[in-house]
Amino acid sequence: MHLSRIRGFLAIFALVPCLAQAQQVSARAAARFLDQAAWGPTPASIAQVQSMGFSAWLAQQFALNKSDLRDQPILTVTGTSNSNLAPVQAEFFFNTASGEDQLRQRVAFILSQIWVVSQQSGVTQAYAYPPYWRLFRDNAFGNYRDVIKAVTLSPAMGRYLNMANNNKANTTAGTVPNENYGRELMQLFTLGLTQLNLDGSYALQNGNPVATYNPSIVTAMSKVLTGWTYPTAPGATAKNNNPEYFYGQMFAVEAEHDTTAKSIFGNVTIPAGQTAEQDLDSLLDALMAQPTMAPFISDQLIEHLVTSNPSSAYIQRISNVFENDGNGVAGNLQAVISAILLDPEARAGDDPSAQVAASFGHMREPVLFFSNVLRALNATVAAPNPISGDASNMGENLFNAASVFSYFSPLSRTEFNLVAPEFQIYSTQTAADRVNYVYTLLYGKPRGIRIDLAPFVNNATTAQALVSYINTNLMHGAMSSALRQAVTTAMASATTPMAQAQAALYVVLTSSEYQIIQ
Amino acid sequence: MFTRRGFIRAGAATVSSLALRPFGLLPALAQNASSSYKALVCVFLFGGNDSNNTVVPMDDTNFKAYSSIRGSLALATSSLTAPATTASGAPIAFHAKLAEVASMFSSKELAVVANVGPLVQPLTRAQYQSAQAPVPLNLFSHSDQQLAWQTSIAQGGSPTGWAGRVGDYIASQNINSSSFPPFFSVAGGVLEGVGGHTQPVALAPGGSLNLTGPAAGIAAIDSLLTTSYGVSLTQAANDMLSNSVSDAAMLDAALAKGTALKTVFPTTGIGAQLQQIAKIIQVASYLGMTRQIFFCSLGGFDTHATEIETLNTLYGQLSPALLAFYEATQELGVANNVTTFTESDFSRTFQPTTTDGSDHAWGSHHLVFGGAVGGGQVYGQFPAFELGGPNDTDTRGRWIPTISIDQYGATLCTWFGLPPSALALVFPNLANFPTSNIGFMGSPTS
Repeated sequence: MHLSRIRGFLAIFALVPCLAQAQQVSARAAARFLDQAAWGPTPASIAQVQSMGFSAWLAQQFALNKSDLRDQPILTVTGTSNSNLAPVQAEFFFNTASGEDQLRQRVAFILSQIWVVSQQSGVTQAYAYPPYWRLFRDNAFGNYRDVIKAVTLSPAMGRYLNMANNNKANTTAGTVPNENYGRELMQLFTLGLTQLNLDGSYALQNGNPVATYNPSIVTAMSKVLTGWTYPTAPGATAKNNNPEYFYGQMFAVEAEHDTTAKSIFGNVTIPAGQTAEQDLDSLLDALMAQPTMAPFISDQLIEHLVTSNPSSAYIQRISNVFENDGNGVAGNLQAVISAILLDPEARAGDDPSAQVAASFGHMREPVLFFSNVLRALNATVAAPNPISGDASNMGENLFNAASVFSYFSPLSRTEFNLVAPEFQIYSTQTAADRVNYVYTLLYGKPRGIRIDLAPFVNNATTAQALVSYINTNLMHGAMSSALRQAVTTAMASATTPMAQAQAALYVVLTSSEYQIIQ
Repeated sequence: MFTRRGFIRAGAATVSSLALRPFGLLPALAQNASSSYKALVCVFLFGGNDSNNTVVPMDDTNFKAYSSIRGSLALATSSLTAPATTASGAPIAFHAKLAEVASMFSSKELAVVANVGPLVQPLTRAQYQSAQAPVPLNLFSHSDQQLAWQTSIAQGGSPTGWAGRVGDYIASQNINSSSFPPFFSVAGGVLEGVGGHTQPVALAPGGSLNLTGPAAGIAAIDSLLTTSYGVSLTQAANDMLSNSVSDAAMLDAALAKGTALKTVFPTTGIGAQLQQIAKIIQVASYLGMTRQIFFCSLGGFDTHATEIETLNTLYGQLSPALLAFYEATQELGVANNVTTFTESDFSRTFQPTTTDGSDHAWGSHHLVFGGAVGGGQVYGQFPAFELGGPNDTDTRGRWIPTISIDQYGATLCTWFGLPPSALALVFPNLANFPTSNIGFMGSPTS
């Protein structure tokens, strides 16, 4: 888990220049791009990207209206706390299938996978999740510093990692503030455990990796983050330690804030006598000044959007943008996302003749897999729908990760020692589950989902025509000859165009080639 | 049907030589390979169980220190089981929600192993504080300490788990009579069971690995399993599906031989997992298994706040499930052949937080049970209950372990039948410690 991230040796990329926008985007390139920048291609979106070009499409995505996850009742009809997250989960998949703001949703979901809040051992109240989700939706193309501050002061995170009501030390009781949020803010959300160079490799001192913090810094961080409580519910009286309430922001209670000086990472000392908010702003300044943040966050965004094993040069190019968007601004997510998607390494495979490393790409995690398949099959997704239950069976229970370490670790590896985060939840069980879900979708009648195979049936004039149509729209035109042969063989026993389409889609969607986006 | 289980392809540049070192020249299981079935069952408590409240020494000195320092987290005698006298005479009590665990302790089927954790070598407070001796990589980090427990290589970076390496040994000696994997998880894929050339099988409780589809589609899937995709994630995905397909066939045939267990398991997640394990043990011979390692888990132990309530809930789920599992092994007539043990990220600070919880710490107390366990005893020493005391890393009561995971695991594996030469490969740090057998498995079998 802590091997250096230098993986440049894996990538043998033809150095193609970034495609000029005037140049016609091929269907293959558009479909590939939409597997990276959206919840998967559709024939209509492929045509749209082909006509607009990548940059114009991105500009349009940045400006589109935002889809929403609707607010949920605080109480059930019987007056108990409402913990039913199903409507939120169902609406999430409704949005991925049909929402226009595809890239914003993708980025928001990635941010929510880094900044985990979960019902498991955490925030059970369903009404906490839509406002928490909106922090990522609204800041998806904003600045990372704003994400840090918004989440830090969100009552959902305050509850999940126990920053809410984290009072300063009480010498009478022999207690000290808890270290939870301060530790994970550094380890998971901003800095990681080990100092990195901009290209993602370890920044060595005397030949050794250097930790970004030590136990005494964790203790100092626990003091920096004292003195915040839940927003006061309407009609309630504010207290130093308010009860849980999940609308709005946490507020400072100076009486519970530790005002001593604190020595944190990067040899920064937060001076004594500051307010809770001043301490937080000092901390944010210190975090944004840490050179390890750019590669730490950039690498994770690349992993989620494009490839699990980027070259060190790719990481470095994105880190540079993270540090400076061209206008001297650090943490500009819109610039970072654009740079990731338009990078020559991301786009190299658009050209079928380009030499791209076999290790390029990443696995469709369950949430991505479901969204991709549903869009590919022109599905109409109602809310409620059972999709999140199926994703949960496959290890990705939406907004319900097992811990703050999310559904899977960005450091997880698989065969060949390849970085493969999504493989952490890919087992003999979930591999079988994927196949069986495809069967249910194509041959069963899953509740709340209506697929439309008409375009496939219409293209099943010959076996070759159908395979070609599927290859373009689902496989970026990159189907192997083995898969093409397997599909053709499976279709041979089908007697109707519909049965042919079902058989062909079954083989493609269950194939290992489809599971990996290359 | 494709039946050869996929072979792990590790990157030679970064895989330690350990993972690839052959076991072929080692002596076979210390016991005759034809001897009866044995299984190890790991119950991983994710999040870092505060074992300071799992089991409490009840002698006056310790209990006074415990009650005073732990403050809001201290369990009163009313929240503890009746003190049990250990073989050495020192009384202990368990968390009241661990009543079933306490009963197994009293009937000498369960042992406590005190202050276990990842270590590179024995370590004192002075050595830790002066950084004069190697310590585990990234102490107090959940992910790293979970991996330290699962790999038993505290320095970090191991691509294989310790149980996976045991699986490699089992496979290298042809101890099991089939290619079905020796490591079986009912809690997803975990590094603990990843070997250099053996891979875990994962089955959800009550789940199935069988594929459904049209006959022509299933045939197409089979035909693609032998396709070669080079050094790629596609190949890795294909190998996993290959494993699933070959395991499904064997699993299905074996489970069809099973009969309903009479033992009633609690209807909790951990209850369902342990029930599934019992069902597999029942048909182990049909899988060709002579040695098998199981993995299940319970999460939610990261109690930085409101710890009392959380542990009441979690122990209330854990304890009856453990007893039901033990009773199931009795029903199956294999109570002496199955040994169950706990693991967890780390224990937690002895000193409480202002949010009525505790923070990440290190050494933790663990439970081992089964008919072969030298039960009713505490093995190892409770730490001195003193903040800034001789066992503390700092001033919060983060206990430096006095028994390493290597020793804990080697004691289990000695019972399992591994000879010392194999132990040395499975637990490469073992030689750094004075003994490889803590003694909780009764008299060693070799």
